[in-house]
Amino acid sequence: MAWLRFFTAVAMAVVFLPSAFAQSQADAGKAPRMPDGKADLQGIWETRNAASFDVSEIAEGHEIPYLPAALDREQKGPRVDPIIHCMMPGVPRISYMPFPIQILQHPGVVIFMYEYLHDIRYVTTNSRPHLDGIDFAMGDSVGHWDGDTLVVDVTDFNDKTWLDSARHTHSDQLHVVERYTRLGPNTISYEATIEDPKTYSRPWKISMPLHRNTEPDFELKDQECTEGDNGRAIHPPYRERPEGDIFEFVRPYPATKEQRSKEQPR
Amino acid sequence: MIAMRFGVLALLASSSAITLIAADGPPDIEGTWQPRAGGAAYSVLPHAGGFFLGSESKTGIVEGGELPYQPWAAEEVKHLTEHMELDPTGHCHYEGIPHALYFAFQIIQTPKFIAFLHDNMHARRLVYMDGKPHPQGYSAWMGDSRGHWEGNTLVVDVADNNDKSVFDMAGHFHSDALHVVERFTLVDKDTLDYEATFDDPKVFTRPFKMKYQMKKSAHPEEPFESDCFGGERDQEHIVNGLANLKDHYYSK
Repeated sequence: MAWLRFFTAVAMAVVFLPSAFAQSQADAGKAPRMPDGKADLQGIWETRNAASFDVSEIAEGHEIPYLPAALDREQKGPRVDPIIHCMMPGVPRISYMPFPIQILQHPGVVIFMYEYLHDIRYVTTNSRPHLDGIDFAMGDSVGHWDGDTLVVDVTDFNDKTWLDSARHTHSDQLHVVERYTRLGPNTISYEATIEDPKTYSRPWKISMPLHRNTEPDFELKDQECTEGDNGRAIHPPYRERPEGDIFEFVRPYPATKEQRSKEQPR
Repeated sequence: MIAMRFGVLALLASSSAITLIAADGPPDIEGTWQPRAGGAAYSVLPHAGGFFLGSESKTGIVEGGELPYQPWAAEEVKHLTEHMELDPTGHCHYEGIPHALYFAFQIIQTPKFIAFLHDNMHARRLVYMDGKPHPQGYSAWMGDSRGHWEGNTLVVDVADNNDKSVFDMAGHFHSDALHVVERFTLVDKDTLDYEATFDDPKVFTRPFKMKYQMKKSAHPEEPFESDCFGGERDQEHIVNGLANLKDHYYSK
């Protein structure tokens, strides 16, 4: 029997050690708690990926399950990343913009303060119903706690934001469910399920860690988008607007291999 | 027995001391506040009101009803008043101080900072209370805010302002030398007296003050997204369409 016990131990070690090792490597120590016992997500957090350029980097299987009609709509649709014209980036894109995020918790509310575009998301944790008949660039966020995980249900989107600079788009039927779980002092696990029956054939997932900024005295700054042709100092009145959009993509972004092979340079 | 009574007294004394310390802590100014700024977004001076930004104000919010512009700056204001379409808030830019405080906002207090969350322009401001100085070489639409308590008054020192934010859409402007000291005094649990001193030696001949009251909203609301983005150009069209706007401007 001794050999069996030994074998089991080795098998257990093989199965469990890597995950335990990864966990301790990623974040040693206990995740802090709020005085009311809720998980404490507070701090200044950052991503270390390039998902704001191409979200497939953090997508499950690196794939986005497009409906053919949606691909077609995307190819015929706007060709300029809306954030270039200072529009808000939408959700989930705001979470992986390469700028710090400060989370502030208060009884009944979790506030996300983004350095990018000085955006705020004010998430009540009372599971209130979503608003009716209204669209937002950033959607309507409603939260609740699922154990130690903050779940944020976001809907009421407009169809104007993109998921990244690579022109991955969505419709106004977008529904995002974000899950924030603090794994330790310096890591939050971020997961989001993205659903849009007008664009994707099934719900799909993205996941990434949010790393805590541990720099002493680090503070959020104000980031404001100035297009260059606005603002009192440099904006002479009645100036002609340039023809077309100077930021327009020269070539359509190839969303799939098939599209890439069909694509003709303009 | 005496010793025991003494012990109980000591215990009572220490517990009341704890209560006193708590009572001595910073005043509670959390909540949604509704400024009574009398259409200041239209003009901080006495005005007849317009552009959907509130009704007439006979007093304005500037103490004495006058802004002490240097002569060159007074000329510039005349030009800007003629061209309200240049107002950067009409182009969806951050409003700056005190412009952001003309509309409802929410305050949340933490030991390290006091957060001001505004609906309008989805602006936010963190007033740091940890005694650190303003950063060097920083310039922002909302400036950089450092605060401390003086009794019932939150004193906020705002520096690092840029020269792009404005006081109102009537063209009242400042330079990047602007330094603001704001005083939020809690007069009763539902009222904040707001008084701010502005010093900008590049544009004005002397410091001046703005004053108004803010009332706590009985129905606290979630701040919602204000979907305005930089580069918006509609104001040019609207203002140019309202040719008679200037005729009833400055009723004083």
